[in-house]
Amino acid sequence: MRKINLWAWLWIILGGLYFFGPLYGALDFSMREKRGILSFVAYENVLKDPNFRDSFTYSTLIALATITVGLILIVSTAYWVHLRLPQARPIVDFITLLPFVVPAIVLVDGFIQIYSGPPFALTDTPQGTNVLLMFGYIVTAMPYMYRSVDAGLRAVDVRTLTEAGQSLGAGWITILFRVILPNIRTALLSGAFLTFAIVIGEYTFASLLARPAFGPYMVLLGQDRAYEPAALSIMSFALTWAAMMLIQFLGRGAPGQGQVAGAH
Amino acid sequence: MTHLSLSNVSKKFVETFAVKDFNLAVERGEFVSFLGPSGCGKTTTLRMIAGFEAPTAGKVILDDVDVTSKAPNQRNVGMVFQSYALFPNMTVAQNIGFGLRIHRESEAAIKQRVSEMLALIHLEKRGSNYPHQLSGGQQQRVALARALAIHPQVLLLDEPLSALDAKIRVSLRAEIRSIQRALGITAIYVTHDQEEALSISDRIVVMNAGAIEQVGTPFEIYNFPQTAFVANFVGTLNTAEAEVIDPSKGLIRMDAVQLESDSPEIKSGQKGEKITIAIRPERLHFLSEGKRANVFECKIENITFLGSVVRVQVSVGNVKFNNDTFNNPFLELPKIGEKTQITCARDAVLVLKN
Repeated sequence: MRKINLWAWLWIILGGLYFFGPLYGALDFSMREKRGILSFVAYENVLKDPNFRDSFTYSTLIALATITVGLILIVSTAYWVHLRLPQARPIVDFITLLPFVVPAIVLVDGFIQIYSGPPFALTDTPQGTNVLLMFGYIVTAMPYMYRSVDAGLRAVDVRTLTEAGQSLGAGWITILFRVILPNIRTALLSGAFLTFAIVIGEYTFASLLARPAFGPYMVLLGQDRAYEPAALSIMSFALTWAAMMLIQFLGRGAPGQGQVAGAH
Repeated sequence: MTHLSLSNVSKKFVETFAVKDFNLAVERGEFVSFLGPSGCGKTTTLRMIAGFEAPTAGKVILDDVDVTSKAPNQRNVGMVFQSYALFPNMTVAQNIGFGLRIHRESEAAIKQRVSEMLALIHLEKRGSNYPHQLSGGQQQRVALARALAIHPQVLLLDEPLSALDAKIRVSLRAEIRSIQRALGITAIYVTHDQEEALSISDRIVVMNAGAIEQVGTPFEIYNFPQTAFVANFVGTLNTAEAEVIDPSKGLIRMDAVQLESDSPEIKSGQKGEKITIAIRPERLHFLSEGKRANVFECKIENITFLGSVVRVQVSVGNVKFNNDTFNNPFLELPKIGEKTQITCARDAVLVLKN
């Protein structure tokens, strides 16, 4: 018994070193811009840089648009598949995995080929290119978003809840917004934050479509500066953890399905 | 007066008929059960009444209105599901008030109705609880209250007690029946449990392979089954092949034993006609009780104690029959292997249509 505990602790320590060692290294390095003392100068430099603010704001807005449009498309598709086309689930699963197979560079090249001329000359204007970028991100985030939503829908009895709502006089939209979505809240949040994390760090789409996004900014900064990229890495870790904690916080009130034993 | 009628209703899935030529007229305030084994089409029929399945043919008429093509949310039909289907994100009170909110009732009216419903199901203090904080029985009572809150024209119950344990099932079915009687609402109840159907219903529709086998009161279904399927599915039954000897006297031969029966099927039959007879185990008696109409020599094969009943298996020639006798502390049971005589009344011998 004791032997098993020692092994467990050994693996925990090794795992901890593997994950936190590089993070500690980056944190330490990011604070050594001033020789001989630890300081937050690199962080200050990053935060003061107008390009940081602009690119981060731009990527945040694109991420919000991606999440909104992506959720509308993916939730309605997944809901319909669960409810009416369960036999189509393997096909939909396969389609949602395609972004893993098709590299982003191929996808964006295809986008540019199709949407740079009539009838859909989206790249002619910044707004059009933004829309194109957003749809590109929806495709890129689709495997994560779809799987989160699908897992949420599998956890509730979508069909029976929908039928119960219908028998009480409710229509599709009411059932979706008042019954189904509140019950898959954690799954939606999880899909949304995964999408946010993907969009914030994405480089290929933004760079080839020449948009002022955060991904290209980070790459550019990495080429020119030493300590600031490390500071940015720590900041993005902090952002991701904050997002994860927010999921936990917002999802903790989600009502369970269990039953109180013996409470007849 | 007919409140709900299904005429020539059929449902075909690909090449298979789940329900075929279903005809039924239900009176207002009647409690009708659809009884049958899994896959017999009872739930599909219920779902067609609710509007969740569209019939391939036929009509569903509710209060003289053809609702066959109406959407489920346009039918005003309350439904109680096997898995309760309470909305997990809503409290008990919100669940009960959901349908009323959809129908845009005033907040005061909703509050009033929710209180009435909570009182009806004896959960007055549980309004602010979430479904997962209730037991299965309590959840199903809330589901019943939610379905009744909207004043439905018909209440549909799809195996509502299947997920509950035996004791709760018995008490809740009595509660469902008393609430249905008190409100005078028409109810259709789907079950595969014959005891449940017999105890709760005004009428039972016994279904098999998508078709109706027999419609009747619980008394008729149990005592006068019209087909071999009904006889075998409802209760325990002794069946045997026999031959008509003298139709006018109701005389038949089973194996080497001669029997008399009051069955009209024998009286209208032909001499030499092959028939299937059925006798309920509780209608067979050991001869000491003095019944002399049909007496057979038999051998005791097995004795099973079932609590309130003792089941004795006997062989009459090559045929094996079960006899059920009510248990009492002074009951004198025969011994296994013993030879004795068994008897039944003329009217206990039924003839089954195959």
